[in-house]
Amino acid sequence: MSKHKKYTKQKSGFGCHLLSLKSFIQTSKIIKVIIGVAFIIATGCMSNPNEVTVYCTVDQVFSEPILKDFERETGIKVNAVYDTEETKSTGVMNRLIAEKNNPRCDLFWSGDPLRNGILQTNGISEPYQSEQTLLIPDNFKEKNNHWIGFSARARVLIYNTTLIASDSLPGSVFDLTDSRFRGRFTIANPLFGTTTFHMAALFVTLGDEKAKQWMNDIKTNGVVVATSNGDVKKRVMNGELAFGLTDTDDAFEAKKESNEVDYIFLDQQGNGIGTLIMPNALSLIKDSPQSENGKRLINYLLTRETEAKLAESCAQMPLIKGTEVPDNLSSLDNIKPMRIDFKETSDKLETIQPWLKTWAEE
Amino acid sequence: MKFGFKYIPFLLLVLLLVLPLALLFVQWLTGKEGMQLFSFIDRAYLLLMGKSLLISGIVALLATITGTVCAFLLYKFQFSFNKFYRVALLLPLFISPYIFAVAWKDGFFWLLGNSATIYSEAGVIMVHTFVFFPLAMLITGTTLSQIHSGYEEAGLMTVSFRRMMMKIVLPLIRPALTISFLLILLFSLSDFSIPAFFGVRTFTTEIFTQFSAFYNFPLAIGQSVLLLLVCLLLMLSEARYLSDAPFLSVSAKGSFSKKYQTGNRKVLVHGFIWILLASALLIPVLMLTVQSFTGRTLFFAEAWELIRPAAFQSVKLAFAGACIITFIGLWTAFVKERKNQKLPDLLLLLTFIVPSTVLGIALIRYYNHPALNFIYGTSLILLIAYLGKFGFIASRIIGNGIKQIPVSFEEAASVAGIPSKKVFLKISLPLLVPSLFTAFVLSFILCLGELGATMMVYPPGTELMTVKTFTISANAPEALTSSMTLINLGVTVFFILLLFVFGKWMFKKFQYV
Repeated sequence: MSKHKKYTKQKSGFGCHLLSLKSFIQTSKIIKVIIGVAFIIATGCMSNPNEVTVYCTVDQVFSEPILKDFERETGIKVNAVYDTEETKSTGVMNRLIAEKNNPRCDLFWSGDPLRNGILQTNGISEPYQSEQTLLIPDNFKEKNNHWIGFSARARVLIYNTTLIASDSLPGSVFDLTDSRFRGRFTIANPLFGTTTFHMAALFVTLGDEKAKQWMNDIKTNGVVVATSNGDVKKRVMNGELAFGLTDTDDAFEAKKESNEVDYIFLDQQGNGIGTLIMPNALSLIKDSPQSENGKRLINYLLTRETEAKLAESCAQMPLIKGTEVPDNLSSLDNIKPMRIDFKETSDKLETIQPWLKTWAEE
Repeated sequence: MKFGFKYIPFLLLVLLLVLPLALLFVQWLTGKEGMQLFSFIDRAYLLLMGKSLLISGIVALLATITGTVCAFLLYKFQFSFNKFYRVALLLPLFISPYIFAVAWKDGFFWLLGNSATIYSEAGVIMVHTFVFFPLAMLITGTTLSQIHSGYEEAGLMTVSFRRMMMKIVLPLIRPALTISFLLILLFSLSDFSIPAFFGVRTFTTEIFTQFSAFYNFPLAIGQSVLLLLVCLLLMLSEARYLSDAPFLSVSAKGSFSKKYQTGNRKVLVHGFIWILLASALLIPVLMLTVQSFTGRTLFFAEAWELIRPAAFQSVKLAFAGACIITFIGLWTAFVKERKNQKLPDLLLLLTFIVPSTVLGIALIRYYNHPALNFIYGTSLILLIAYLGKFGFIASRIIGNGIKQIPVSFEEAASVAGIPSKKVFLKISLPLLVPSLFTAFVLSFILCLGELGATMMVYPPGTELMTVKTFTISANAPEALTSSMTLINLGVTVFFILLLFVFGKWMFKKFQYV
């Protein structure tokens, strides 16, 4: 039978039914394959009791080695999600909020406690207390232990030594309104990151009116609003600007990269308001899949060993008494801190954010 | 099989991709804040939307003009290194715009001693133009190479070369110019990373601020819906062009394009292309190279160690993503061109213009369910995001390939009694191989570099090349991040070249089509 005739025959009568049956069998085969693949994937992706999921806004270069050490020492696999400078380190926050009804994350490790405050407000975190959390001073943890702080950073003034002499530097944030610094300094966008925290702390310390006046004055004095703290660091390192406000870890990294950069703590005079101290903050996620492993990781992070590693790698100042620190690192005991209540600062942030947005955009 | 081919891809498309977005829209519409619908729209918002449209409009215009000039030179004239230029000028399209912005900012400071001028609308326009002009070059170039030489030769018999170009060639490529303009307008309008980096407030940065500083999802989604409506309006207003124009076609069947000699203008042509190449590619790459070597330590080995596992994972995922995108693209294009079912293509268009953050949130809300762990907890979620981002482009490329196959081929086979499945497998599919390959390559490269939606949904513990480069870049030494970016670029270029060589062999093999 020629091909032509064969095909013609198939199109009618019994052949047609045979074709339908064949189509049905082939179709059901496809469905079976899909179901099979889905089943294999589903069974292969059940939550593993020997894993822990961490969402982390602390720079990956510093946090990843610590998490790898935890993996090595406990045998618990760490699945981490890190954040990017491009998304202003807010990508994981958006994920945490979107995942609220079915949390995937066990532990949120934040670079500052403000974001943990937002999780608490949204009912995403749950309290946790252990022997390790008791090592942390009360003023560096939430009163119900919704977040627990450790290893702190501070806000500093980073400067380019070729552009400004150390004795000409401002000693206080209030000096930034001085006309001799006009157009020579930078801060990061106050809507994002630790700069938001810093501004909110200033609003709490000074009161709204004075803080707004100060922000307007630095704007009049030609402050350059950088994209991020990393951008502040880069612009000062490159010599684009003489100095800027950033965090100790950025300044520490800049010093490692360049001989022309140094940093100082502001407002350390007798009557000064002090500098902002920002601890890392850990929050246990409510109804998380591997809550026990999350707790184990919290306890691991709240140790002298971890704080010592962070002090070594990125100049973070330990909060647990008796932790060894490198010689070139300032101790919290020698820094005058800004006296703030983290909850009050977090609440203040919500009220001032629209104003900060207008300030940044105008 | 008929049932399978007819409904399974459609069901997959709707269930996997469209439903998450539809549900997010319904949730927003029925939510507390959604009741106010577009209450945020006031004069300031409209002005901001106008400003964003103006910036993107200028970008689209400049990029289309630049791309068209390049296309004219590279696709209509014969001169040395022509093919090298074609590939090299395409590369900016595959580099993250954010990396471009950072490199150009440093480049400005390096060249002028000041980078203040780039922190402006002009900076955004410049970087966007350099990033997007290759798209116009590709689209217009493809169209130019499909113009039958007979038209031009007939014109040249009566009028001058310039007049022939203006009166014959330009009208013929008008749809390609329109599509280039519209696509670049959309890409520019939906990018937030460059305006945010240069401190320029646009509608997209406003949406990003609502998401990321205020965590105000309902307002951000409302604003995204407004942006989506504007984009959709722009696309639909030109639906005629989009559906009929030879957008990104390959292997023009049955047409022989006329090629011209550059004559004594060789130096001018090379000069123009090298200036463009330097601005769009060499200066940013040079900046990254300089930064890689100016640190106190050389970081290439460390950068490679960091990227290596992520690179393999990224390549695997991009390969899987490109396969799925090409398959779904083939199906949507086929049913659109041959069955006149335009809905699947329209759905892909919709997911294509949705901002990445919105797509990410829609996918999280839909898939983050214990029963769907096998999708949300694995790389499948990334494949779905890739399909949403790039399915439309593949569909268009393949669709134009299908357009070039005379229906008479399939009709003749049907008359001979050959079943439609066999007609498709034995006639249409072989003829479509070049288009399928091009769709696959483009999807592969785009998946390899995707960041926006990936950042929102990548499974914990999964390491991907672009994600790793960006997450490490926060506070790592500049030399390390520059080295990582260069390696990232190197991997992409390696695969472009590999696929280019493979494609050359394949096009040769299927040249009879």
